[in-house]
Amino acid sequence: MTQDAASGIVLDPVDLEIFFHKFTAVAEEMAITLQRAARTTYVKEAGDFGTALASPGGRFFAYPRVLGVSGFLDSDVGPSLEAIPDLEPGDVIITNHPYASVGLSTHMPDLHLIRPIFHEGRIVAHAWDFIHSADVGGGVPSSISPRFSDLFQEGFQIPPMKLMKAGVMNADFLTLYRSNCRTPDVNLGDINAMLAALAIGERRVHELIAAHGVETFMQAQRDLVAYAAAKARQVQRRIPDGDHVFWDYLDDDYNSPVPVRLRCCLKARDGHVHLDFTGSDPQVEAAYNVPTGGRRHVWLTLKLMHFVYSTDRTVPLNYGLFENITVEAPSGTIVNPEPPAAVGVRAATAIRINEALVGAMSVAKPGLMPAPSGGVMIPSVLVEQDPATGARSVMVLQSLVGGTGAREGGDGVDGRDSSLANQRNTPIEKTEEESAAVIVDYALRPDSGGAGRWRGGTGVVFSVRIVRDGSAVLGRGMERFVFRPWGMAGGKPGANARVVLNAGTPQERDLGKLDMFVARAGDVVTIMTPGGGGFGDPLERPADVVRDDVVSGYVSRESALADYGVVLDGDAVDEAATRARRDAIRRGRPGLKRFDYGPEREAWDTVFDDASMLEFNALLMRLPTSVRSRRRREIFDRVVPGLSAGVRPLQDAIGDPDAARARLKDDIEALRRALAPGEGETRRTS
Amino acid sequence: MTTARYRIGIDVGGTFTDFILADMTGGGLVLHKEPSVPGDPSLAVERGIAALVDSRGLAPRDVELVVHGTTIGLNAIIQRRGAKLALVVSRGNRDVMEIARLRLPSSYDVAAPREAPLVRRDLVFEVGARLRSDGTVLEPVDPAEVDGVADELARRGVDAVAVMLLNSYRDPALEIEVAERLRARLPGVLVTESGVVWPEVREYERCLVAGLNAYIHPLMTSYFDRLQRRVGEAGVKGPIYITANNGGTLGLDTARERPIDTVLSGPASGVVASVRMGEAAGRTRLITFDMGGTSADISIVRAGAPEFTTTTFVGDFPLIMPVVNVGAIGAGGGSILWVDDQGFLKVGPLSAGADPGPVSYRRGGTQPAVTDCYLATGIIDPDRFLGGRMRLDREAALAALAEIAQRLGLPGPVDAAEAALRVASAKMASEVIKLLATAGADPRDFALVAYGGAGPTHAVLLAEEAGLEAVLVPTTPGAFCALGAVLADVRRDYVQTARHLIAAPGVLPASRDGWAAVDEAIARLRRDALAWIAKEGALVGAHSIAVSANMRYTGQAYELDIPAPSDPPDPASWCEAFHAEHHRLYGFSDPSAPVQVTTVRLGVIGKVPPVQFPPADDAKPVARGTRTVWRNGKALEAAVYDRAGFGRGAAVQGPAIIEQADTTTLVLDGWRCEADAIGTLHLTREGRR
Repeated sequence: MTQDAASGIVLDPVDLEIFFHKFTAVAEEMAITLQRAARTTYVKEAGDFGTALASPGGRFFAYPRVLGVSGFLDSDVGPSLEAIPDLEPGDVIITNHPYASVGLSTHMPDLHLIRPIFHEGRIVAHAWDFIHSADVGGGVPSSISPRFSDLFQEGFQIPPMKLMKAGVMNADFLTLYRSNCRTPDVNLGDINAMLAALAIGERRVHELIAAHGVETFMQAQRDLVAYAAAKARQVQRRIPDGDHVFWDYLDDDYNSPVPVRLRCCLKARDGHVHLDFTGSDPQVEAAYNVPTGGRRHVWLTLKLMHFVYSTDRTVPLNYGLFENITVEAPSGTIVNPEPPAAVGVRAATAIRINEALVGAMSVAKPGLMPAPSGGVMIPSVLVEQDPATGARSVMVLQSLVGGTGAREGGDGVDGRDSSLANQRNTPIEKTEEESAAVIVDYALRPDSGGAGRWRGGTGVVFSVRIVRDGSAVLGRGMERFVFRPWGMAGGKPGANARVVLNAGTPQERDLGKLDMFVARAGDVVTIMTPGGGGFGDPLERPADVVRDDVVSGYVSRESALADYGVVLDGDAVDEAATRARRDAIRRGRPGLKRFDYGPEREAWDTVFDDASMLEFNALLMRLPTSVRSRRRREIFDRVVPGLSAGVRPLQDAIGDPDAARARLKDDIEALRRALAPGEGETRRTS
Repeated sequence: MTTARYRIGIDVGGTFTDFILADMTGGGLVLHKEPSVPGDPSLAVERGIAALVDSRGLAPRDVELVVHGTTIGLNAIIQRRGAKLALVVSRGNRDVMEIARLRLPSSYDVAAPREAPLVRRDLVFEVGARLRSDGTVLEPVDPAEVDGVADELARRGVDAVAVMLLNSYRDPALEIEVAERLRARLPGVLVTESGVVWPEVREYERCLVAGLNAYIHPLMTSYFDRLQRRVGEAGVKGPIYITANNGGTLGLDTARERPIDTVLSGPASGVVASVRMGEAAGRTRLITFDMGGTSADISIVRAGAPEFTTTTFVGDFPLIMPVVNVGAIGAGGGSILWVDDQGFLKVGPLSAGADPGPVSYRRGGTQPAVTDCYLATGIIDPDRFLGGRMRLDREAALAALAEIAQRLGLPGPVDAAEAALRVASAKMASEVIKLLATAGADPRDFALVAYGGAGPTHAVLLAEEAGLEAVLVPTTPGAFCALGAVLADVRRDYVQTARHLIAAPGVLPASRDGWAAVDEAIARLRRDALAWIAKEGALVGAHSIAVSANMRYTGQAYELDIPAPSDPPDPASWCEAFHAEHHRLYGFSDPSAPVQVTTVRLGVIGKVPPVQFPPADDAKPVARGTRTVWRNGKALEAAVYDRAGFGRGAAVQGPAIIEQADTTTLVLDGWRCEADAIGTLHLTREGRR
């Protein structure tokens, strides 16, 4: 796009403004209908659902402002429809397939329905909705586990197909579907609710066409998309031209302790943004892969959407917002896996991808975006067994997130995080209604927010006391245990996550990342989420604001002194001592860091620098998928033996960085030789 | 000796305090507006009563009842000007207000802040007292610990305390024990227990009810004391009632104890008045439309009674108590017009309010607002705004609109004004249509009841856009909430979370115990309600009780509030009603399944002898002249009338403009306007129906 899309607008802007409100109202009415009737708790309590109207091509031109998941605005139903050769009025397409839908569904509990809307024989729009189902079969209840390595473990696969054909329900499909889910009645209730919402969408579209004419209706779709594109471009021009590189890490891929690198090169040119994820690590043998189809995709662009919307709140929510973005996500990498790689916990990776994107924007210009949030979304789950009947119950204890990152001009929000799904939590009293366990703590975590002129939001501490022997606590999306939410422009990183058993007792011990922990009655399991990164120099934070943070318990006296240089006398600031203390810290420090990653990542980056890793991954990508992962792991084990041995913290696992670098160099060299033309190593190893 | 036969309804607004004097013998309704006294709202009340009584040649003792609505509590919450509040919670729950329900207001806007807290974190105290979810005590109250907290609260100088212990919805005894100890050591400090004020499950929401109640408690108590004194000093001997969120009223003592029940009463009173007026006009399906300077609010009435919601907001905070379901739909007369960089016209969300107000107010406003558009298009007369009390500057409005027109590429300021009114109407109409659809209702069946200063002005514009075919304009649209106050019955709502399976006989034998528990919970609420209503004053006549329950299928995330179909209620017919309602709303139901009751609700209504609307006179409308109104680029020559000319049966054809001191009513071409027996204007679309 070389010129402003707004110049292509045909209809009268006043009419378009009116259309915008009407389109949004339709999408919201669909959402109201779906939310009220759906059966799964994911929909009502967590808001994990979506509704929209799509253009004939398959991208959304009408989307709710406040209801449901915000992040799926740039979804594309097109490929799912292309899979159906004979669309006709009254059809409803169903899919949950991450690969066959080309990233419309990004993990299989997400059930998507599409209803093409016909007018006089041609498709004028599609009604779409999705919900996160309670269960679609697979290896564990609720169908998601990080340990899964392929799609077949993750449940019942539904490639795009007809749920309804010309208005008639495909009863055979429903029979098959019911028998492949642990919660068939709930799932069926959900489908009914989804169909009701689609019917509303279709009816409203027909009313709009009756009122305004079909050509005007079609033109309004196009014009509002062009309008959003023009607005987004104008905002994106704030990103200085140039190539801006940043990367971030997942702690590990669950099935191995090797960190996973997500690399983003943001190429900005006059408001156009190209995101090149080349150099990101290969796909993993765990459920952390993000199925994007290698195309522009919601999980790759989320933070650009937040950037645009936060800067111009009047931008209409439609796919035009993304029309100035192009994407490169090489096949076989974690950002564009090949089937049947598992994808269940893709959100954990998506958070990190988007933090790499935010980092790249911040490289371009500090302050464009906030420092990263705690960066986790942990649905902690409790499985209890009734001692009398043996019946097992499974319930979500709490949706846990960290705080938001600080930004230029504002502290992060404590204990909450809108940056990914912006879900609601579960009241303690609702959890305790369902379980014998007792929630003994659900509180902010002092000192976890990154220090800074603007302080990162704190994480939370969540503790559950087990009442029934043999109860299991499950967690997924456990991240930021190793690599911290980084600080920006002189700000400090947030604290890492922890899971602790029986904290504050002689039996206290770190449980590390929790997959499933079987507890005894009386055990207390505590999950601590990370805080957001800080922004700006902590010594610039007004002393009385630091004092208030101490009095209110967000920051300890020790941190006030060490990180902020604020000396308190009781609850009052000792001004003179504070000045002296701050001067001393300033004199003693090397200067402000543009990014403060914490010691773990600094040690890791010293060994695994960007240039080496680009080369290393390029070589790995030449290996067949089947051996790539094993080779990669072998090399990391040789370079950092302490990693698999469980040595922590990471800097201790690495040991002497120069020696590790030398080992890495040797291994890369060996790999290069093996892959040289004529050597044929790839065939021998496979 | 004369008998007291007058009632006065009072609604305190930001600019004016509105009064309605109702003669209980059918003698008429008298409207009075008194400038508000922001520093001491009760002063305007005293002055207004005196003025009203004097002007009618009455004695103060002729007033049998004063019903008062106030936004003092609401404003204190919105502006965070309430008490220095402390919160006492169970150990481990200190951050219930910090974490709230986790979700932030905006999913898109990274700079959007959380709500400003109601209570500072350093004023939240944990104590080791709480229940299990089955109502048994997990940890008892430690008296010494509570006394320690009390001493700290005294040291910190707090003036209100809310107590919320986990699972107290099952039994408030622990909270009461804590509160009693606090009261004993903190004389003069008001303490609210969450399980007493609203025993419903979900700790954050229940804590908010208690917290908000405590937050406005000192302020409201002292206001009510002052009000009582001033009304007494005005010589009125009759009792004072306070309007409530549920469209009812409460005696002054109850309102002192539970001020949270009164914070959203203003909009509720408008709906009550709409329902009563609709009844007189033979209309039971209404959309109320209250448009003022800063916002427009609507409410749907489907069956001749206000409808309730338990998912509303007070300022930034969710409120789970039943309130009359009034929703904001956007623009008010002060909403500002602007043009974005792509040349799109926006109306709001910024508002010029009343100060500086629209450009035409000449109080310093520089950006044109919706009221300027009424002026530019000829709908309102610059010389007769607020009955001529305020002169508007049409030239200034046109000049400001000319800039907008230039940016939009429109020929002139009037075109810009028309475009803005279209955008504002479309925004509001899309909300109306969405709301109707959510209720499963057809717009053509509904009449729009227009009130507030701008409601009757914008009503037909909105009706055309939303597909509505009738508009009702009451005789006193500018003081409709004050009217609603005198029309309301005494009413209070009760709740008890009680989670049990019930079923029709044969569906689930084990549900017998469940039903017994539900039945017992209802009986308990009924006892509480009857004891309360008996003490609510001599004016209260016969009472009625309405029982309902939140019900769902097991495992379902959403509950429906189903009124008990019989009295006394029985499980079979109640389940049947639930299945039917579920089917009506969602298109499916499962009559063979048991039903889970989660919460039982009970409302008690004490009838107050009703105010009768006075009959209209026989005045006939005489056009005072004509005015050019611009609509769709065409000039309409509208006849201009005084509202006083619309006696019983008086009728005119649009285009017409009807002016009265508190508003201007626009009747477009294609519409007909006729006054009914009590003077309500019925605007109907011609050529339909």
